[in-house]
Amino acid sequence: MASRRGWARVGMGVAVAGAVGLGLLAVPAGAGAAPELPPVSAEDLVTSVVEAKDPGPLHATVTLDNALGLPAIPGVPQAANGTSTAQVWSDGAGKGRLSVPSGQGEKTIVDDGTTVWAWDSADKTVTKKAVGTEQKPPQADVTDPAAAAQKAVADLRATSTVAVDGTAEVAGRPAYELVLRPLPTERTLLREVRVAVDSEKRLPLRLTVLANGSSDPALQVGFTELEFGAQDPGMFTFTPPPGATVTEAPDRPGDAQKPQRPEPKVVGDGWDTVVIATMPPADAQQQGGRDGAPDLSSIGKEVSGPWGSGREIDTAVATAIITSDGRVAAGAVPAQVLTEALSQ
Amino acid sequence: MTLVESATTPHRRSAPMGRLLGAELRWVLRRPRTLVMLGLFALVPILIAVGVVVADRSGGGLIGAIAGNGLVLPVAAMTLMLALLLPLAVAMAAADAIAGEAAHGTLRGLLLAPVGRGRLVVMKAFGVLVVAVVATLVVAVVGVIAGLVVVGGADGTLVTLSGTTLGLGEAMGRVGIAALWTVGQLAAVGAVALAISAFTEHPLVVLASVLGGLIVFGVLGAIPALDWLQPYLLTTGFSAGADVLRDPTTWGELGSSTLRALCYMAIGGGITTSRMLTRDA
Repeated sequence: MASRRGWARVGMGVAVAGAVGLGLLAVPAGAGAAPELPPVSAEDLVTSVVEAKDPGPLHATVTLDNALGLPAIPGVPQAANGTSTAQVWSDGAGKGRLSVPSGQGEKTIVDDGTTVWAWDSADKTVTKKAVGTEQKPPQADVTDPAAAAQKAVADLRATSTVAVDGTAEVAGRPAYELVLRPLPTERTLLREVRVAVDSEKRLPLRLTVLANGSSDPALQVGFTELEFGAQDPGMFTFTPPPGATVTEAPDRPGDAQKPQRPEPKVVGDGWDTVVIATMPPADAQQQGGRDGAPDLSSIGKEVSGPWGSGREIDTAVATAIITSDGRVAAGAVPAQVLTEALSQ
Repeated sequence: MTLVESATTPHRRSAPMGRLLGAELRWVLRRPRTLVMLGLFALVPILIAVGVVVADRSGGGLIGAIAGNGLVLPVAAMTLMLALLLPLAVAMAAADAIAGEAAHGTLRGLLLAPVGRGRLVVMKAFGVLVVAVVATLVVAVVGVIAGLVVVGGADGTLVTLSGTTLGLGEAMGRVGIAALWTVGQLAAVGAVALAISAFTEHPLVVLASVLGGLIVFGVLGAIPALDWLQPYLLTTGFSAGADVLRDPTTWGELGSSTLRALCYMAIGGGITTSRMLTRDA
C-alpha cells in the first residue's frame, strides 16, 4: 500500500514535470548573457562592416518581427503586425535560394546563376527570368539585414550619435550592438536604431528600430539561425515540377511605367526628412489600383489645414498624409512636421 | 520495449503483460463502434479525392495543392482530421477505457483483480494508443491509395510546397513522418482524455471535455490579445503537419509541437496513474 501511494506521488511528480516543461517551452529562447568582446570604436565597427568580405556560403533563417502598426494590406501579409520568417541559402558565388513559407504554402526563389526561378505554391506557377552573369542576384531590401543596416548607417551618421553599446548574442553568434540615436534637435518618432554586428565576420546580423513611447521594437529584422559552410549544390538548381505553369517574366516591368512619375520632393534632412510625392491620377487610383497597387482610399483619418485637406495614416515609426490633390507626404516624423513640409 | 521483454519473461506469477495487452487489444478493436468509426474515417480521404477531382478548380491551401498531386492527399487528410475527427476517436477509446468500465461496474473487478494498478494503467493507455495508431494509419493508407488512384500523382511523384519533386519512396517517407507526428499529437490528446476518464463514471463527460477543450483551445488561439497563450495550447501546433511537404523539411514547428505533446502526455499520464493508484475499488 505504501509503495502504491509512493508511485501515485511519482505520477503527480511526472504531471508537474510535464506542466513545468510546458512552461519552459513557452519561454522564448531569450538572449543569453551578453558575450565578452574586445572594445571597438563605432567608427572602426562601421568601417569594418563596409569593408567586410563576402561571408561565403551560408544557410540562414531570417525573422521579421513587425509591430509598425500598418493597416492590413491584402496580398502583403508581411506588412501587417506579426512575425514572418524566410529561409536563405547562398553558395557564396552568386547562386542563392530564398524560401518564404506561409501558412499552407510557400514561395521559393532560386537563382541558379543564369536563371532566376520564382515558384508560388498557391497557384503552382513558375516565373523564370534569365539574368546576366554580371548581374547581382535580386535581394529583397527588407529581408536582407546587410543591405538594410549599411544603408541606415550611411544615411544617419550626419544627424545622429553613433555608439557601440554593449554586446549581444544573435543567432548564437556574439555581436556588437551599434546604436544610432537622433540628435535632440531632430524631430522624429524614432528613439533609436540598433544594428547587431557579428564580431568575427562583421556581418550585420540584426536591425532593430525602436520608436518613442514603446520599449518593444517597432521593427526587427534579423537572423535567428545562421550557419556558414558549404551548402548542398542541389539547393541552387530548380526544375519546374510536373503540372506547373511556367511563364517568362517580362523584361523589367517596373521601368516602363516609372519614368512617367515626377521625382519626389525631399524636405529637411536627417531623421526628420519628409518625402513629398505625387500620386497617380485620382481616377486611376479609384479603380482599385492601376498596377496592382493597394487601394489606400479607405484607411487613415481625415485632416485638414492651410495646406489643404487629406488623410493622415499613423504608424509606430512613421506618418503619412495623402492630400486630396494627390500629394503624398511621408516621414519618420510627427504629423506636424508633415504639414509644415506640405505648406512650403 | 518493456512490453516485449515482459511478454517473454517466463517466470511471472501474475498474468503476463503480453496477455493483458492482447486482451485489451481484442477488447478495443472488436468493439463495433471502433470498427464503424475506422470505416467512416477511411471514407474521408476518398471524399476529399473525389471532391478535388470533380471540382477541378485549384483553390488555395492544402486542399488546392492536392489537385494533380495525389500524394499530398494523405498529409492533407491527416492535417484536416487532426482538428476534430481523430481526437474524437481517441477520446472515445479513452472514455470507454476507464469511465466506461466504471459506468458498467466492471472497473471494480479490474481494480480488485490480482493485476497491479500500474499495469492496469499501462494496459488502458496501450488500448488508447492502438486506436490512435490504427485510425491514423487508416487515413494515411487510404489517403495514399485514393491519391494515386483517384487524383493521380504527378507521374507518381510528390511536388512539394517548395516546388521540388520527390520520388515515390521519399514521398512515402514524408507521409510516414506526418503519420508519426499525428500519432504523437493524438497520444497527447489521449493521455489527457484518460486522465479525465479516471475521474468520472460518465463516458460522455470525457468526450465533451476533450472536444470542448479542443474547440476552446482553438478559439483562444485565434484571439490576438491572447497570443501569449499560444505556446501553452496543444492546438497551436496542429497545422505543423503540412511542414513535411516542404523541401527541405522545416523541423522547427514539428519539433516544438511534438515537445508540447510530450508535456501533455506527461501531465495526462501522471494524473491518470496517480488517480488510478489511489482511488478506492
